[in-house]
Amino acid sequence: MTSAIFELSSRVAQRYWAVALVVAGWQIWVSAAGLSSIVLPGPLAVLTDFVGDPLSYAEPAGRTFAVAVVGLLFGFVLGSALAVLSWSSRLLNGLLTPLGLIFTSIPVVTLIPIIARLLGYDVRTVVAIVALICFFPAFVYVGSGLRALPPGSDDLFRVFGGSRRQCFLRLVLPSSIPNLMLAFRLTAPEAVLAAVVAEFLMGTDGLGHMFRKAAGEFDTERALATSLIATITSVACFGLALAAERRVLRRWT
Amino acid sequence: MPDTPAIRIDRVSKTFRLGDGRELTALTDIDLSIAPGEFVALLGPSGCGKSTILRLVAALEEATAGRITIEGRAPAELCQSHRLGVAFQDHALLPWLDIEANVSLPFHLAGRSVDGARVKDMIALVGLAGFEKARPKQLSGGMRQRASIARALILEPEVLLLDEPFGALDAVTRRQMNVELQRIWSRHRITTLLVTHSVDEALFLADRVVVMSGRPGRVILDLPAPFARPRAPAVMREPVFHDLVDRLTEALEPEGAHP
Amino acid sequence: MTSARSQSFVLGLIGVVLFLIAWEVIGTYRLAGLTWPPLSTVLVFLTTPAKLPLFERATAASFASVGIGYVCGGAGGLVLALVSHLIAPVRPGLDRLVAVIHAIPSIALAPLLIVLASADATPPVISGLGVGYVFYVAATSGLATAGAAHRDLFVVLGASRLSTALRLDLPSALPAIASAMKLSVPIAFIGAIIGEWFGASRGLGLLIVSAMQNFQIPLLWSAVLITAVASLSMFALFSLLERLVQERMR
Ligand SMILES: Nc1ncnc2c1ncn2[C@@H]1O[C@H](COP(=O)(O)OP(=O)(O)O)[C@@H](O)[C@H]1O
Ligand SMILES: [Mg+2]
Repeated sequence: MTSAIFELSSRVAQRYWAVALVVAGWQIWVSAAGLSSIVLPGPLAVLTDFVGDPLSYAEPAGRTFAVAVVGLLFGFVLGSALAVLSWSSRLLNGLLTPLGLIFTSIPVVTLIPIIARLLGYDVRTVVAIVALICFFPAFVYVGSGLRALPPGSDDLFRVFGGSRRQCFLRLVLPSSIPNLMLAFRLTAPEAVLAAVVAEFLMGTDGLGHMFRKAAGEFDTERALATSLIATITSVACFGLALAAERRVLRRWT
Repeated sequence: MPDTPAIRIDRVSKTFRLGDGRELTALTDIDLSIAPGEFVALLGPSGCGKSTILRLVAALEEATAGRITIEGRAPAELCQSHRLGVAFQDHALLPWLDIEANVSLPFHLAGRSVDGARVKDMIALVGLAGFEKARPKQLSGGMRQRASIARALILEPEVLLLDEPFGALDAVTRRQMNVELQRIWSRHRITTLLVTHSVDEALFLADRVVVMSGRPGRVILDLPAPFARPRAPAVMREPVFHDLVDRLTEALEPEGAHP
Repeated sequence: MTSARSQSFVLGLIGVVLFLIAWEVIGTYRLAGLTWPPLSTVLVFLTTPAKLPLFERATAASFASVGIGYVCGGAGGLVLALVSHLIAPVRPGLDRLVAVIHAIPSIALAPLLIVLASADATPPVISGLGVGYVFYVAATSGLATAGAAHRDLFVVLGASRLSTALRLDLPSALPAIASAMKLSVPIAFIGAIIGEWFGASRGLGLLIVSAMQNFQIPLLWSAVLITAVASLSMFALFSLLERLVQERMR
């Protein structure tokens, strides 16, 4: 019993010593320098603020999470659909591949203000932004999964006769699903971060808005507690995506 | 052999623990001594543990039972004092270095300054003069093996370990490499352990040929190769050579195939 | 160039041109409303001599942030990766620390950074953290790619841990590091721009966000275009370098 506890705590210590060191250093520095909590509160003060009123964080966190998930799904459906479409036509593939590459090599986040202006300051805009940011990884990863298939897909369709559906189910889906799920896992935490940034910029709703408000009122404890919740939401999204990836891979491969 | 052995393999066994918890006994009770300056060839069917013996002598594996000593010391000590030379079937040349830099590598790893003249001589000795600045991928398989042998010899090691160094070469190139290795070795007379599955190669190169049985590996035959050095390829046409080839080939056949 | 390659090049070029034409047409006919200007309007705006100093100042400030963040973040990520490679017991802890820092939304780091450093130091620091993450992840996996035969060789030749790291592991990791150099380009720009959104006194990010708030549509698109083209060019340059390294190292 004690040895099990010892083993567990030594494992935790091995993994989290650096994080603990940074947090402890932060607390010690704040205490030693006697910083006021407006300038920079210590981790204990941030935690106290959160524990004092956890429910006030739950609603914005839930909204941000929902927006991120909906945007992520939209982006992935559109990105994968376009990838499949461009795989099925050599012409479309040739036209779209370089564009996809261009968009992965530019900071897509800088497009947020443009989208905000185009669509208006609205929750739907946040969803669109998240979808846009998730679109490109889905397009690129699914595309590269499909390209691992034998080339000359047009002929393949013909060989399979009229049954395009069969071909899609037997060939296309299994070969692109591992890459799709990998992109899903890598993008899920980014979706939350993109949602937070969009909310922050437009001041609509959710954690980004809460953060902006708290920072504007110099309520630094609340601002940092909001970041903490955003971080946890993002990590949770990663965990969920990882679980989904394992499940789907077990089913499909 | 009156001398104390250079390499002493003292009733060594080796068991591998496999990933799924099962165990695989690769060697049981191997007992072998190699005299200073002696060239011993290890013959045996594939999977009988020849490479494992070499890896034990090179301190790349730990014996499960028994002891291996090189001049009375543990093999790892020989590595740490940079007194061991190896050439394996995989030439293991660094692809980003040219041939000269690859052959000089042991100097750097031993913390010694590079003896440029010696590197040049060694490259010439293995027949690669003019290819100093070539990269491994620009060379043929045989040339890469020459480079890897030059690298093994560059620090004048006390012990040389060769694991099927010519295993990936075609028959003609292989014959040619054997002749050259014989010439180079006759000049240095380094204690050498060669693993091979070619009977001709073993007899032509070695002072003594040791045959192992199939898994778990045991020594079943230990024959001297009584040919004067330096040896010319004509040795391989002598009747004595043929007799020995027959005896070794017979020993290599699966048990029960002969009375 | 083979015919297949030149064909795909031409197709790709047509794709890009079609995209630019679509941009122009949508803007000209107001298909997406007043906030989507035609490409030509943006280009004219960008090349207006009177606007030049404004763009120059903002671009210089942002590029300085990107450059500092890229170099310091990349070097930091590499050094950290080497440390965790050389001292195996610290590896799990460093892995977690890097992952946790990466999971913190960058805008949430800003208030911390403003206190710890200053508002103008925030863009390069956020940029550097993003770049450092990519370098750390790529380098730690790249440092482990050397083959078993090479590893055995170094053991037999009695190489020390340090010289194995420098003469075997680091060269083997170079292709992965070159990929990180390429992949972290857009991340460096994102970090700098987001850092500026939070409260820098100059830079393209500031220009973008103030243009958004004040409905300066051509200015908004111009600033975004500059950022995108800069990131794209740097990315293309490093793709070339990546290919060179991959060719040289294998
Ligand atoms: N690291 C290892 N783990 C598990 N089994 C091994 C390992 N190395 C060798 N073996 C097994 O030990 C036996 C002997 O291998 P080896 O020495 O390579 O044979 P040889 O060189 O004579 O062909 C083989 O059955 C091989 O599968
Ligand atoms: Mg072998």
